[in-house]
Amino acid sequence: MESNAIISINRVNFYYGAVRALTDISMKFRKNKVTALIGPSGCGKSTLLRLLNRMNDLIDGTRVEGEILFEGQNIYAPDVDPVEIRRKIGMVFQKPNPFPKTIYNNIAYGPKLTGVNAGDLDALVEQSLKQAVLWDEVKDIMSKSAMNLSGGQQQRLCIARALAMKPDILLMDEPTSALDPISTAKIEELIEELKKDYTIIIVTHNMQQAARISDETAFFYIGNLIEYNKTEKIFTKPEVKQTEDYITGRFG
Amino acid sequence: MNRQTKEIIIKYIFLLFALVSVIVLGLIVFSLFREGLPLFTEVSVKDFLFGMEWYPTYDPPSFGIFPLIVGSLIVTLLATFIAVPLGVMAAIYISEIAPQAIKETLKSVIELLAGLPSVVLGFFGMVIVAPWMQETFDLPTGLNIVNASVILAIMAIPTISSISEDALYAVPREFKDASYALGATKFETIVKVILPAAMSGISTAVMLGMARAIGETMVVLMVAGGAAAIPESLFDSVRPMPASIAAEMGETPYRSSHYSALFAIGIVLFCLTLAFNLIADYVSHKFRQIGSGTL
Amino acid sequence: MKWRYLKQHIFFGMVRASALIITLALGGIVFYIVYNGIGAISWEFITKQPTHSMTKGGIMPAILGTIYLTIGAIAIGLPLGIASAIYLTEYAKQGRIVRLIKVGINCLAGVPSVVFGLFGLGFFVIFLKFGSSILSGSLTLGFLILPTIIGASEEALKAVPQTFREASLSLGVSKWQTTYRIVLPNALPGILTGSILGVGRAAGETAPIMFTAAAYFTAKLPGSIFDEVMALPYHIYVLATAGTNIEATRPIQFGTVLVLVAVVLGIDLIAIIIRGYMRRNKRW
Repeated sequence: MESNAIISINRVNFYYGAVRALTDISMKFRKNKVTALIGPSGCGKSTLLRLLNRMNDLIDGTRVEGEILFEGQNIYAPDVDPVEIRRKIGMVFQKPNPFPKTIYNNIAYGPKLTGVNAGDLDALVEQSLKQAVLWDEVKDIMSKSAMNLSGGQQQRLCIARALAMKPDILLMDEPTSALDPISTAKIEELIEELKKDYTIIIVTHNMQQAARISDETAFFYIGNLIEYNKTEKIFTKPEVKQTEDYITGRFG
Repeated sequence: MNRQTKEIIIKYIFLLFALVSVIVLGLIVFSLFREGLPLFTEVSVKDFLFGMEWYPTYDPPSFGIFPLIVGSLIVTLLATFIAVPLGVMAAIYISEIAPQAIKETLKSVIELLAGLPSVVLGFFGMVIVAPWMQETFDLPTGLNIVNASVILAIMAIPTISSISEDALYAVPREFKDASYALGATKFETIVKVILPAAMSGISTAVMLGMARAIGETMVVLMVAGGAAAIPESLFDSVRPMPASIAAEMGETPYRSSHYSALFAIGIVLFCLTLAFNLIADYVSHKFRQIGSGTL
Repeated sequence: MKWRYLKQHIFFGMVRASALIITLALGGIVFYIVYNGIGAISWEFITKQPTHSMTKGGIMPAILGTIYLTIGAIAIGLPLGIASAIYLTEYAKQGRIVRLIKVGINCLAGVPSVVFGLFGLGFFVIFLKFGSSILSGSLTLGFLILPTIIGASEEALKAVPQTFREASLSLGVSKWQTTYRIVLPNALPGILTGSILGVGRAAGETAPIMFTAAAYFTAKLPGSIFDEVMALPYHIYVLATAGTNIEATRPIQFGTVLVLVAVVLGIDLIAIIIRGYMRRNKRW
């Protein structure tokens, strides 16, 4: 697990006001792998995910201790611009959240504002939608509102929107929890496809999903990292009793 | 300039815009005092506030605004007595009783009532209500306290009603359910559970309605009759403070003591409404219902 | 048992009566004004200058003056109000400054209109030497409606789902661009309809323009923002209380009142209808 880490977390504590949500977390995420974060509600897995692209900055009264190194640089160093970090670390949310714009403009929105040439936009939009396996379904309705798409299509659109920024890492916060089984299967296939080019960190409530799609799995409980190992190991021979209880459905 | 510096600058520009309201408030105080304070080189604050005679154009003039204050208070109080029951009951009707369609219509009616320009209401009171009142009750004048109070009440009702409605609406559903589950009637639930729970909001509504009434100008200017004396009956004329300012400012020489006196009345009026608003603000924060766990 | 329900019946009766009285008050006032005013309304009345010391002719200069003052008030109140609301909803963190600003806005909302008039006179007309003019009147009215516009804008900005902001920020789009490209366009319809109610107020106010902008009579139409204007509300007041022949000009008074009510309630009604339509067709 030491080789080619893209993110290393060193002794991170995180507070909402006076409440500590994460306790002394240290872990590394490997490049071009899918890492699943699992654990019961409120265990801090989503909080950790949102720490990685500084989305927690948006919440008043939060505080981070420790360091998170992305390609060797501490993203919480005072001179780091969170906007720059978020361009390299994209995010897909629990509920599909397309903008109330056309399909085309949803994808083109980010690149346009970050200085991609107008001439290159069409190609970039097409490429991103193809990567998200949505192109064939929407190529004839690019100027229709994204709000008219189905939930599953919207979520793939959000993935395409994130990919259009050409990030290195894709964070996914329970991306299929609001979707039907068929849409979920499509997204899972897509993740399989995407890991060739991207590092993916996914929070999920769905144990089977973690087992199916991830290479590594981290189990969290009340703000602590309990166990972190290869997925097959976690799901066959967990070392900690709490992990075993959780994945066998004895609590959570 | 890098992006972070730019973002910080943008934030401070918006802060500056947001401070405009506070700055304007400051400028209002500054202007009132700059123009009004010179009066007090001639008249003491006590004689100004409690003097019984308002003869600003006599020689020597006298600047006692006590009759004006009394005029303001009396029309405000009477208007409140009329507007509070009507406004609060209309709010109860909208939030608890009315069917959906009537609810929407009534809300629009109240919003439109709030939109009626004060000069129109003043005109209505002066041209239609006053002659009718004079004839019906055989009065020397229809321009009197009662008339002005009724019209002021019409102006204050929308304020009272819409803020009360918000307060009633904010009462948690569980309270009502619990009351119904104990076998209480709708009336008992409204009077014993919903109204007490909404009381701080309704008090705020009443305070703001009173502030609206005491500061209202055109209605009292056109309908209250204009007599600067302590009234002996509710059918007497009065000259509330805003009416005095509006009626006399046009005819007074710039920077005369009369001119300063009108600004000084402005200071009194400003302080009174400010007090009403601060009390309302305090009441609404202090006794705000937090969650459904406390009462 | 019976007494309990009787009490309820009486109470509900009173409550319904209150609603009815309020509706009748609005209906009665509007009816009287339309009934008495409609006879005075004609094309000439709306488009001609007054003649014979304002006892005959039209009210065009007053209509025009009210339009100028209202546009001026919007030009001042709307940008300031939207910017204030953006600070409060998008940038501010809870703390002393925000509390100060909010109390300031509440107090400003409570300042009586005649005190605004004194402020306009003391500050714009005299201190800044703008004289009694469209500029002074517009500034006074603009600040008068500022709290209404801030309130409407805040509400509309808060109604934009947080997920839109998160989605934009997660793409590495800056806070300002997120606000400008995503939040503001989605809030704008709500901001505008909410602000229209403030605009109606600006058009109908009398006391704030009495000492700052309004003239009894102007021989010429205003040529610049430093000119005085006639205005509908002031025109009503003057004709009804200090005209050359108060009784004889009653029809003109009622006609002017009708025009003002039609303008102000028309504006409000449009806002109410658009708002209802928007609420029913919400996309998110």
